[in-house]
Order: sequence, then structure tokens, then C-alpha cells
Amino acid sequence: MDKNKMDNGYMTGSLPANAPLAAAYVPMQRSAAPAYEANEALSRGTLFPGLDLPFMNIVNNDLKCTPMTEMMAIDFVADELELYLDTHQSDAEAFGMYQTFLALKKEARERYVKMCGPVDQTDLLGMSSYSWLNNPWPWDYQPQMEV
Amino acid sequence: MFVYEKKLQYPVKIKNTNPALAKFIISQYGGPDGELGASLRYLSQRYSMPYPELKGLLTDIGTEELGHLEMIGAIVHQLTRDLSLAEIKKAGFDTYFVDHTAGVYPTAASGFPWSAASMEVKGDVIADLNEDLGAEQKARVTYDNILRLCDDPDVNNVIRYLREREVVHFQRFGEGLRLAMEKMNQKNLYAVNPSFDK
Repeated sequence: MDKNKMDNGYMTGSLPANAPLAAAYVPMQRSAAPAYEANEALSRGTLFPGLDLPFMNIVNNDLKCTPMTEMMAIDFVADELELYLDTHQSDAEAFGMYQTFLALKKEARERYVKMCGPVDQTDLLGMSSYSWLNNPWPWDYQPQMEV
Repeated sequence: MFVYEKKLQYPVKIKNTNPALAKFIISQYGGPDGELGASLRYLSQRYSMPYPELKGLLTDIGTEELGHLEMIGAIVHQLTRDLSLAEIKKAGFDTYFVDHTAGVYPTAASGFPWSAASMEVKGDVIADLNEDLGAEQKARVTYDNILRLCDDPDVNNVIRYLREREVVHFQRFGEGLRLAMEKMNQKNLYAVNPSFDK
């Protein structure tokens, strides 16, 4: 997407017509569209091109695709939509998108748990052992353990 | 209540140890504009928020900040794994090491331990949300400065991600402030404190 394109106004928001003095104003984001697809959203740190304002204009490359990053990307879109909906609770389109991602999130979690183990302790239901304790823990990384 | 998910919000995979970088990145763990202060600020301010949008927003952003605290902890942990004493001395990491070995302790890069004096809970909607807008900007600048100082791409990818989250949070707090002010006395926003005066 060409970020310098301003034509559909996705980088501008609305301000109140009659704003009281002695108050700080941030414009309201108008819409949850356009939005990046999930992997790009995760690597850039936002779902929304209009909020994507990187330091020195350097952006992250797409992440290497693993079962973990696949789940992270979908979880991230859901998190990002939750914050948007906290301040846009009547945006039906965004809520529809959120519903879609909640369904994807459930599927992604099930796929990951089957392949790699529990994400939270309720995932242990029906498992044969207390695999919650299995390494690796999220903060551990050894270059040679790359899956 | 909180339930732990055994995953980070964004992957942290640092190939090369480098205690010299850990020395200043630790500031986003326990420094004045770091993630510990951010999460405690928002999760504490939410109790006196009078409107549901703000209770939700502070809960969700405060929770996300706990995830960012975990990511900064992971960066520091990975930058300091398997260190030799020679590496520790050469990087000047000895002043941290003597007190904390290779543990992750909430301190500013200056050595000043995390302090609640770096955050505020004022119990007033406008004051607290204005503080939150400022806090996001200060955290964004700290990440800018880390990007200036750090030359490891494995670290900088994570820092760029965390920095962008500050920009998004700033936008949401600004919108939250708008929603709050629309519910308040339009002739005089400062007539009462809706968190306290009924």
C-alpha cells in the first residue's frame, strides 16, 4: 500500500466542530478500514496503515512464518481490534471483523496446541501429561533450537 | 483476574548476546517511562474511571503493557545468557552483575530502581488521561533513543514493534479523552470531577 496516498482520508480523523477551550484533542479514527493483513500487521506493530508512523521510516520485514507467529498474528489483530472497539463500540463493521478474527483465533489456537503444546492451562484438558512445564518458555531462546 | 498465556505478543529471538545493550534496554523494564510503570499506571487508574469505555481501555492497554514488560524482560535475558566474566567486565555490565547476576531487575539504565514516583494516579479523568498521553509519548521517545543506540537487528525489530504500539495507544487514549469530555459539562469541563463528585 502506498502510504503517501491521502485520497480516502485514512490518515486523517475527525475533530469536533465546536471544541471547548482548555482541552487537548486527538482526532477520532474514522474507520477500521483500511487494515493490513494479519502477518503484516504483526510485523509493523499496528493493524492500521493510518497509525503506522515508523521512526526514520524504517519498518520491519515480514516475520518468518512458524506455527507460533501464525497464532501471534491472528491474536494481534484481535487485540488491536479490541482497543479500537473500546473507543468505537458502535462501529458494526469493525465488530464484524472482530467476530471473524475471534473465530480464526480459536482455530489457530487449536492448531498450535495440537502441534506444540498448551498456551494456557485449560488447553491441558484431555492431554496425557502435565506438559505445561515443557520447555521452551516464551523468554528462552537458543539460536540452535530454531523450529 | 489474569490468566497467563505461554507466548509473547511478538517474537523475541536474539542470536548474539550483548550485555552492553542490556545495560540501557533494561530502562524499558524498570525505568521512568518503562513498561512496568505503564502497566501499573493504567491498571491502577482504571478504578476511578467513571465511564465504561475508559474502564475497558485502561484494562486492555494495561494488560498489553504487561505483555510488553515480558518482552523487554526476554530481550534482557537473551542479551545476557551464557556470559563469561571477561565479557561482563568488558561491557561494563559488572555494576549490574554485582547486585543481580544475570537476573532481570526493574531498574532504570541509570541504576535507579523502579519507583512509583515515575507515575501518577490522580483520580480525575482529564488529569489521568492527559498523563497517559504524555506517558505514551515519553515511552515512544525512549524507544527512538534505543533505536539510535542499538545496532542489533534482532533487538531493533522488537523495539520498532514496541515503539509503534506507543503510537497506537496514544491515539486510543486521545479518543478515550474525547469520549469522556463529550459526557461532561459542555459549558465547563472543569465544573466537577466526575470520578468523585456525584
